[in-house]
Amino acid sequence: MSEPSQSGPSRPEEDPGIGQERDDVQRALDQFRREVRARLLERRAPEAGSGLDWEDLFESARRRLSTIGMVERSAEVDEFGMDDVVIAKWNRLFDALADRWWRIDVEGLDPGSPPLPSLFVANASGLLPWDGIMLAHKIARARPDAPRPRFLVADWLVTQPFAQPTLAGIGGVRACRENAERLLRSGRSVVSFPEGLKGSAKVFRERYRLRRFGRGGAVRIALALGVPLVPVAVIGAEETHPVLFKVGSLARLVGLPFLPVTPTFPWLGPLGLVPLPSRWRMRFGAPLDFGPHGPEAADDEILVDRLTVELRSSIQRMIDEAVRTRDSVFA
Amino acid sequence: MVSEGGVSAPTSIAITGLGSFFGRRLAQRLLELPRPPKIVGIDLRRPWRLEGRIGFHRVDLGDPAAGGKLAEVLVRERVERVVHAAFRRDPTPDVEADHELETVGSIHVMNACAAAKVDHLVWLSSTMLYGARPDNPNFLGEEHPLRGHADAHCVRNRVEAEELLARFRVKHRDLHVSALRFAWVMGPEFEDRVVRHFASPVVTTLLGYDPLVQFVHEEDALDVLERCVLEDHPGTYNVVGPGVLPLSTLLALGGKRALPLPTPLLYRLEHWLSQSRYGDLPAGFYDYLRWLFVADGARGWDRFGEPVYSSREAWISFVSSRRMRRYR
Repeated sequence: MSEPSQSGPSRPEEDPGIGQERDDVQRALDQFRREVRARLLERRAPEAGSGLDWEDLFESARRRLSTIGMVERSAEVDEFGMDDVVIAKWNRLFDALADRWWRIDVEGLDPGSPPLPSLFVANASGLLPWDGIMLAHKIARARPDAPRPRFLVADWLVTQPFAQPTLAGIGGVRACRENAERLLRSGRSVVSFPEGLKGSAKVFRERYRLRRFGRGGAVRIALALGVPLVPVAVIGAEETHPVLFKVGSLARLVGLPFLPVTPTFPWLGPLGLVPLPSRWRMRFGAPLDFGPHGPEAADDEILVDRLTVELRSSIQRMIDEAVRTRDSVFA
Repeated sequence: MVSEGGVSAPTSIAITGLGSFFGRRLAQRLLELPRPPKIVGIDLRRPWRLEGRIGFHRVDLGDPAAGGKLAEVLVRERVERVVHAAFRRDPTPDVEADHELETVGSIHVMNACAAAKVDHLVWLSSTMLYGARPDNPNFLGEEHPLRGHADAHCVRNRVEAEELLARFRVKHRDLHVSALRFAWVMGPEFEDRVVRHFASPVVTTLLGYDPLVQFVHEEDALDVLERCVLEDHPGTYNVVGPGVLPLSTLLALGGKRALPLPTPLLYRLEHWLSQSRYGDLPAGFYDYLRWLFVADGARGWDRFGEPVYSSREAWISFVSSRRMRRYR
């Protein structure tokens, strides 16, 4: 602008005359701006009057296009790919699933009771990692002050197309020792399913029978890092996808370890993957503290095996008791 | 000038692959020092705009007698440190020549260093050597085995060379070796196959896959390289920018369109094109857009300090510089 906005550098000993002059200039400038704005609006008015404002429409469409895909995700994710925007979006679905679909009863999860971070070890059940998602969700809801726990996902699922980006966004991490240790070291709890694929791919008649707990990885990590290990029994998730039998040969064509046949799955197409609304119970056992053994005990294979067997049988006891005392699968 | 480890700065530095991005830019940086060391460039072609300021020797590392020739040069020029940057920027369809240069050429460099009693060898490497595998942990430490990629011959060659380097290190313990594993380099100037792939406004991706991607900015990479050349930092370091971003977020940030193609289709579509251009099957490149190969940079950050650019900032620097170039 050609007109100076100030009459000069301000001096401390200025007299009222100069102040008056400056006010005049300011007023003239304001007047000038108003005129310019009015004239600009005048020029745009006829266009806006003639029905549609194409320019505006085009501009807004362009803006919408350039930000497409950015509204659903944040520009930063954490180092394991978890995205807070995605979590916030999915939380409503998770709440609905937890409270209305599966009506989950949680026992033993108090504001202070399992110290966080800890390693949660649960029985694997159901085809899809709904149990992991729900466990992480329930722990996050009960302890909003702590970082959101992550659930470990078996290899076969985390490498499937479409599953991988979705799971990573909501806090799923590929199950391996390096990942679990890194998460726990940085203060984030981990929900793990040591049975792995053997556990989630059980057929229906074998439900609630725990399989072998891998090679003792969970216990080894808890020993090495000195984090508490919390046994968890999840009851009800076995009935979300009751697998009648498994087909192997066809599955290899599409790169899956097996193709499950449930009362709904291949028959109803993708709709058959909707989990059944069984009633769930989550029982958190007392945290096991392996601290007295010391971190070097992680290399003691016999001790690791013994602790793993004990852990497995304690979870099996919790499951058996809960299954015995429940009245019905769906009520 | 005395560096961190109490070792005085080298007075004579040889750079193999002077014409490569890292070779050229490192030479320029060293010449800008207050007391520049003597620089001995080794390459096939005389470097542009560096004549007279550096010594140049034409040695073909693909030549079977290159080891002796190189050793002779190193002894004559009294070289104290060698920077090995003579690696292919892009794989070429001539698979055998690439092998001669990258694997056998590296053996010549190692042998020449040992014969000429060089103090220090700085070795340029890449996190791509870990290989993009579905069973990778989210963060790969420097000790993670280098599994490479079966379909990427340049990665394979360099993995082989680095295995030989590991043996060389055990044999010549007094010769310090710094190996720098760079993540994908991004920045205004650097260019290779990865950069070209990301430079186009429509970027081919794999349908249903959205791996976390990691970059390092070219200036950060050069900073670490320069410090390794001037100071004493033996060991292997991942040189990566902090932070990771999903591929889809990167493209959205850069205002690029993703063209997601089903994996089997893309691998068939690109089959001949990719083989004639790079000598590899498409999987040799696209698997790196499919699976994770994020390296853990903590050791390097402890040693050299946190990089100026995070992965995200490196990407933005690259995208915005390309955009400027279009309007120039």
